Amino acid sequence: MIKKSFILFSFFILSPPVFNQMVYEFEDSLQEKRFYSLISEIRCPKCTSGSIASSDAPVSRDLKNKVYELVLDGSTDMEIKTYVSERFGNFSDYRPSLEGPNYFLWFGPFIFLTLMLSIFFVKRRV
Amino acid sequence: MNQSLRLLIVILPILILVFFAKVLLLDEDIKFSNFESKNFPAFELNDLNGDPVKALSLDGIKLVNVWASWCITCLVEHPFLTKLGEKNIQIIGLNYKDSDFKANAWLEKYGNPYLFSIYDPRGDLAFDLGVTGAPESYLIVNNQIVGHIQGEMNQTKWETIFLPLITKAKQGS
Repeated sequence: MIKKSFILFSFFILSPPVFNQMVYEFEDSLQEKRFYSLISEIRCPKCTSGSIASSDAPVSRDLKNKVYELVLDGSTDMEIKTYVSERFGNFSDYRPSLEGPNYFLWFGPFIFLTLMLSIFFVKRRV
Repeated sequence: MNQSLRLLIVILPILILVFFAKVLLLDEDIKFSNFESKNFPAFELNDLNGDPVKALSLDGIKLVNVWASWCITCLVEHPFLTKLGEKNIQIIGLNYKDSDFKANAWLEKYGNPYLFSIYDPRGDLAFDLGVTGAPESYLIVNNQIVGHIQGEMNQTKWETIFLPLITKAKQGS
């Protein structure tokens, strides 16, 4: 019994520091909040249908570390996203900015819906 | 009116089908063909012999290939790179997250198609380049990165993505 509980106890003692790759520590909770929202809005360049928060690919790890560094350095969210997209492309932003061809991305579905609805109503009237 | 609408109902789904079929069947590599050219990032690193790489001369046409001794696909593309090297294409290696000892042994064993290899054990330069893993290749024309291929470099990718860019660059100059 003593042996068993000793083993159990040693699991609790030993596992977290050994198996946690990286524990992010912040100066305040705002930084922490910003970090976690940023990493969920940056696309993993390797596994392109997930955020870097959800990915353990080496490049995502590097990206998270970089975002962490930049958050601590006091960069704004916009600056960090620009920093990442300069390197990994616009594609890296899960919330594409409102510019250029992205207008089609944002408003295309609404234009399409309006088109469909107008056709539908015109057709009903005939 | 009614007739044209009826026509539209037939044509629209076909158009949508064609559109999606085209997007879905498109080779993924196409997304790299409209790569926005950018400057090669600044860096301070050594080559695999331990000598500092001085302001990389990227005049003319150069291929920068990201590789590592742990990378299996790098071995797959290795014969093709060797072939390119024989055709006088200048290839600069970027040794990525590797140890110089293993990297040099790898080159010794399989042959060295590179002019030299930049040693980037932490992946700093690779990060600035936007490398997502090894292998990857960048096409450089007069100090500008004009093309990027992720994954294995082969005859098809070389011909369909990089060759047109080289032809375009030669026409431009």
